[in-house]
Amino acid sequence: MLIQVLLSGIALGSIYGLVALGFAVVFKATDVFNFAQGMFVAFGAYFAVTTINLLGLPFPLAVAAIIAAAAALGVIIHIVLIQPLSGRPMLSVIMLTIALSIVMRAVIEILYGVQSRTLSTPMPTGIFIIGDVRVSQLHLVAAGVSWLCMAAFGAFFKFTSVGLLMRATADGHEAALVSGVNVKVMNRLAWAIGAGLAAIGGLFLGQLQIVSTELEHIGLLALPAVVIGGMQSIPGAIIGGLLVGLIEQLSATYISPKSSDILVYVLLLMILMVRPWGLFGQRELGRV
Amino acid sequence: MTATIPRSGPPRATSVSRWVWLALAAAMLLYLPILLTERQIFGFRLSNMMLLNIGLSQVNLMLITMLGALSLNYLTGSAGLISIGHAAFYAVGAMTAAITGSQWGWPFPLVLVAAALCGAVAGLLAGLPSLRVRGLYFVLSTFAVHYIVVFVFMEYQFKFFDVVGVPYKNATLGSWNLSTPMRWYFFLLPLVIFVYWLLRNSLGTREGRAMQAMRDHELAATANGIDVRFLRLKAFALSSAIAAVGGALYAYYLTNVTSEFFGIQFAIQFIAMIIIGGMGSLPGAVVGAAVWLLLPSIINGLTSQAGDTTGLLRSVLVDHKPQLVQAIFGMLVIVLLIFAPWGIAGMASRLKARLTAWWSRS
Amino acid sequence: MQDKNTRQPKGLRMKLLSAVAASTLAMSAHAQFEAPAEGVYKDRVDWGVMMDLSGPASGSQGIWTNGFQAYVRSINDKGGVNGRRINVLAEDSRFNPAQDKINYEKLSTQTPVLAISGMGSSSSQVSLAPTIRGGKIPIVGTYTHTKPLAEPVSPLVYGGFCTYPEMAKAGVGYMTDKLKVKSPKVMVVSIESAGGVEYAQFIADAVKKYGGSSSLVTMKITAADVTPQVLEIIKQKPDFITIYGVGNTAILTMKAMHQYGLKIPAFGISYLMSPQIYAAIGPDAGPNYNVISCFTPGGADQSAGNKEMMSAADKYNHSAMKEDVNYVAGWVAGQMAAQALQLAGTQPTRAKLVEAMSKGFTVNTNGLSAPIVFTPTDHAGPSRFRMIGYDYGAKKYVSFGEFADYEKYMK
Repeated sequence: MLIQVLLSGIALGSIYGLVALGFAVVFKATDVFNFAQGMFVAFGAYFAVTTINLLGLPFPLAVAAIIAAAAALGVIIHIVLIQPLSGRPMLSVIMLTIALSIVMRAVIEILYGVQSRTLSTPMPTGIFIIGDVRVSQLHLVAAGVSWLCMAAFGAFFKFTSVGLLMRATADGHEAALVSGVNVKVMNRLAWAIGAGLAAIGGLFLGQLQIVSTELEHIGLLALPAVVIGGMQSIPGAIIGGLLVGLIEQLSATYISPKSSDILVYVLLLMILMVRPWGLFGQRELGRV
Repeated sequence: MTATIPRSGPPRATSVSRWVWLALAAAMLLYLPILLTERQIFGFRLSNMMLLNIGLSQVNLMLITMLGALSLNYLTGSAGLISIGHAAFYAVGAMTAAITGSQWGWPFPLVLVAAALCGAVAGLLAGLPSLRVRGLYFVLSTFAVHYIVVFVFMEYQFKFFDVVGVPYKNATLGSWNLSTPMRWYFFLLPLVIFVYWLLRNSLGTREGRAMQAMRDHELAATANGIDVRFLRLKAFALSSAIAAVGGALYAYYLTNVTSEFFGIQFAIQFIAMIIIGGMGSLPGAVVGAAVWLLLPSIINGLTSQAGDTTGLLRSVLVDHKPQLVQAIFGMLVIVLLIFAPWGIAGMASRLKARLTAWWSRS
Repeated sequence: MQDKNTRQPKGLRMKLLSAVAASTLAMSAHAQFEAPAEGVYKDRVDWGVMMDLSGPASGSQGIWTNGFQAYVRSINDKGGVNGRRINVLAEDSRFNPAQDKINYEKLSTQTPVLAISGMGSSSSQVSLAPTIRGGKIPIVGTYTHTKPLAEPVSPLVYGGFCTYPEMAKAGVGYMTDKLKVKSPKVMVVSIESAGGVEYAQFIADAVKKYGGSSSLVTMKITAADVTPQVLEIIKQKPDFITIYGVGNTAILTMKAMHQYGLKIPAFGISYLMSPQIYAAIGPDAGPNYNVISCFTPGGADQSAGNKEMMSAADKYNHSAMKEDVNYVAGWVAGQMAAQALQLAGTQPTRAKLVEAMSKGFTVNTNGLSAPIVFTPTDHAGPSRFRMIGYDYGAKKYVSFGEFADYEKYMK
């Protein structure tokens, strides 16, 4: 049923959009293509297991703890790893994030063991039945929360002074420095946001399936999402995520499960050839 | 009248010492496979750790992957194009080898030639986006190309062969069958040396220097009448051809491949190798390949020496040893990236410069 | 008075001395036998394991390795086999056949082992099959079956995990009887892989015997949502389904079916049984999910083997794993290895081990599985099954019947 497929595509796409948003914020601010974003998703899921299932914290407190821990992790990584490498060629920084994801995966497996873990949260797991259509409540909550976060950050970037300052800094580092903006703080904030958003995505994905380091691969689907939508654009990342989710579900249903991957990447290639700055990005002056 | 532009690379020394070094290196390279197979030297049996936990299969696989590292470094460091799609060209080579070798039964040397040709064509096609975009966007286009090519390989594998994988048989050169690791070594080593020599010479030609000029300052190069785009595509074609040959060799060495072998991890390892070794440096590619492939084994061997321990240490060292190895390895890469940005080759040349300066002062 | 006792006849003393000397010599010869080139030393035997310990399949293969190491440790604590303890050299394949090629060479000449257990990656098995068959190292207790290594039967290779054809027969037979359907309509939900296609074929063969029909629907291994597959299930309306893949495959399928209000019973392949999977499926959808397994997970019954395994697991800090089928499989593979080593005698070599095993032997696991019978022509491994479910209330496994009850489905 088309509606069913569309709904699941939107639900999944919302989570992708969330992770992609985190990705875009980091990229826009610090010019880093963070291949470790997938591992932040996994980190969020595992930390959720610790706070909710192992420590038994009340749910709202646990969620706050997860976001805080992820944000702290993002900031630490920026201070220790990204800042020393500012100004280096992009490839080195990409490689650094890849090495980081290797280390994170190993550390998680040492701490939690290689077995996958179950995440059970107080989030509703029932079904809504509206006529012929059945919607999983968890999907609804995931989509709803994702949209809430994305809207909140959209407003943050558009209306608050800190948000505007972040955008300005991202658009021009020198100008920001000259204006007395503490660029370092802005960058760290960006990394905190990026990691935090990924962790929320991990919280949902962990409950939708099972918590394992394989969640990293789902997080990596945010990459084409961000590029298709536009790497320098916040709404672009969100739309990109939705598109990827929808394409995945539609092609898996009506063509074949294998085709979903390839369609996403063919679309990615086409966008890069025709409109490399993405659907919603800004065309950059000079040779792209 | 143009002044002669100096050749890239160190001046050709004619001193005896250089020939002595070369002879020594050649002797070591020739003795290496025997050492690794027999695991003893003049009757004295060497322990596994003395040989750094390395075996001949590892060295062979390192040589095959070195082809990819060399060609990628040629592309990236010299022509200024970054590609994550190198695994895709390995897949192209493997697929060509499957069609020409396993399906049509061509002899092995011809299969390699076919793989090179198809790789070149694929490289030309994959390089086309470079006419339109550069930098990060081009990297992403190679990322997309990677997934598309691997998908094509998967479809091919499922349609024409067992889902278990594509089989490769009969790696024979004339009547010499590559049936043991030692034979593979003596086939791969000259091949890698040849490719190294080919790429190094290519960098020294007029076109090669032009490419490096275009890498450094594109506008000036174009102004000087060098067709930048054409050179770029040529570089891509050559590097992809070599990678495809590597892919065909990989397939024959493992005698069975599936599309999963050429995943994104495989692609990323080439990038890792050239960064660790030093971008733009061919010796760096060699060192990078060696470090990336051999270091985990060495770390593994060292952690095994920790012996019988109990408690927390045991939990980490025995139950989680592979994770520990991965963690150490990742951290070493990070440290290298932070403190040695020009890779090991860069470190080596800086060290050499300092030593030379110190020597000339004293 | 002392004279009579102290002045023993000279001949007797000499005989006594020579007897003592001979027996000491004999014992030391027994203990002194070493074949370092094959991993046999005075006081230990090196035994290799090749599994994915840090890659995508480490969630199951790492657990298997722990089970194997646990059994070996329990044997070593009792003195080992024939006076030698077993030293496990576990090599990580990271699910990469190139790495396995390196590992095999390592275990054959660099740190030589007497035999190898595990071999978890099918691609590695296919890739290494010619080398293994042409080599001397026996593989005792594989984690997965592939044709190139299993057919034709090789004296070097012995299967260690549930065999698929019998798995399909037992599963289909049991469900058909339980649901009392005449010509069962079955759907196979699988990941796209060689094993999945093969399993679907075995199911089709089994279903044919009952005059039924079967079909296959696939999904990506990293799928995050299975709405398309479930819609297909709704369309086809099978009597029951069977699931092939990884833990996620089962979890997503069962949860999605529950979401769409489907109450179709499902059974998963033997690999898909762990408390995590059941917990993730949840008590709403879980009762519809069972697993057809040749192994008995910890706590599912009170057999001697089960109790022994559970107590060892607790002792060695593996309590979290003992209910995972992979742990049991590893433990049983350890039993296989120890028994084979016993058969090889006091002076084991690779050749002797192979010779002893190829004559045929039976591994009695004391209830953890049906007796595993190896004959000169059958090296398949554990091939008797029963269905196992989960009681969410008691948080324990429930086994439906004994292995013998399923014999009738094996024809």
